[in-house]
Amino acid sequence: MTKLMSGHVSLEQAKLLVEYLDSGQQEKADELIAEIQNPINSELFAEIGKLTRQLHDSLMNFQLDSRLNDLATADIPDAKERLNYVITRTEEAANKTMDAVESIFPAIDSLQDKVKTVNPLWQKLMDNQLNLGEFKNLCLDIDTLLKITGTESDRIHSLMTDVLMAQDFQDLTGQVIRKVIDLVREVEDSLIGMLTAFGISSTTGQAIAKPSVGDNLVEGPIVNTEERDDVVSDQDDVDDLLSSLGF
Amino acid sequence: MKVLVVDDFSTMRRIVKNLLRDLGFTNISEADDGSTALPMLQGGDFDFVVTDWNMPGMQGIDLLKAIRADERLAHIPVLLITAEAKKEQIVMAAQAGVNGYIVKPFTAATLKTKLDKIFERLG
Repeated sequence: MTKLMSGHVSLEQAKLLVEYLDSGQQEKADELIAEIQNPINSELFAEIGKLTRQLHDSLMNFQLDSRLNDLATADIPDAKERLNYVITRTEEAANKTMDAVESIFPAIDSLQDKVKTVNPLWQKLMDNQLNLGEFKNLCLDIDTLLKITGTESDRIHSLMTDVLMAQDFQDLTGQVIRKVIDLVREVEDSLIGMLTAFGISSTTGQAIAKPSVGDNLVEGPIVNTEERDDVVSDQDDVDDLLSSLGF
Repeated sequence: MKVLVVDDFSTMRRIVKNLLRDLGFTNISEADDGSTALPMLQGGDFDFVVTDWNMPGMQGIDLLKAIRADERLAHIPVLLITAEAKKEQIVMAAQAGVNGYIVKPFTAATLKTKLDKIFERLG
């Protein structure tokens, strides 16, 4: 690199120039003149050269890292499928549970209705005010109540078993999600590796970096409410905020 | 009373429908986002809207704004039931004229309290 003295050209450079010209190395002489005229440019070129070499090396390293290729072409599409499986299974489970619950409601309602029919005569019996005709009716009512209770409780029992069995998704989806978390961790490591290879420190700007938020501010469920002060943590917080706004 | 339940997840619509039915609301229709809900509201005589915020297509907040901007619909009470929990969003919904805001996950008791409050205010 050219050493800059107080003037534009040093004695060394002048001698070198004469030497080039004497020996007929016109190109080198021109280069030297350019360098003398614009030393910054040549520093810049050297720097670009260095960066280009680094970039080239980095890219070569990436081509060698076939894992990265696998991640992009196989593992990530696979993870998407796995997560879709989680959506399907949880949706199925929710629907199975609600199917059962929606059948349990009318079963309980019919029991309640029957109890309501029996109740007036039963109260009369307890108060010793029941005549024989009413007693016969009460016996018939109780007979139906017992039969309905038998069949409906059997039905409720089997529906409750359906609700129980619908919860088996948790184990399966748990395993699937755990695998996806492992993959995310691996992708994270690769990305950090990439940033490091390109000379960008992963800690730079971390303080201000925030996960991106969709349009219209939507973010979905907040999973770390304790660590944030821009979100509410429960319904009471919502109610407090709204009442502070005069709601 | 005619109610419209708007949520992109059919399971959540089903939960809300069951809870509403338990509270005595039997005339319930469903829509899966704001852009399906709005024409239904404009075409039918709905008395109450329960909507999610985050939906593909038209979001709940935009549906709320559209309801308030349409003079034939502006009177309809709107209850947001959403996982969106940023204070900024709650303030935004309040300013847009929401009648109630419930954060998911929620309970049947919360829904009942909010409904009572909304209809008590409306008189």
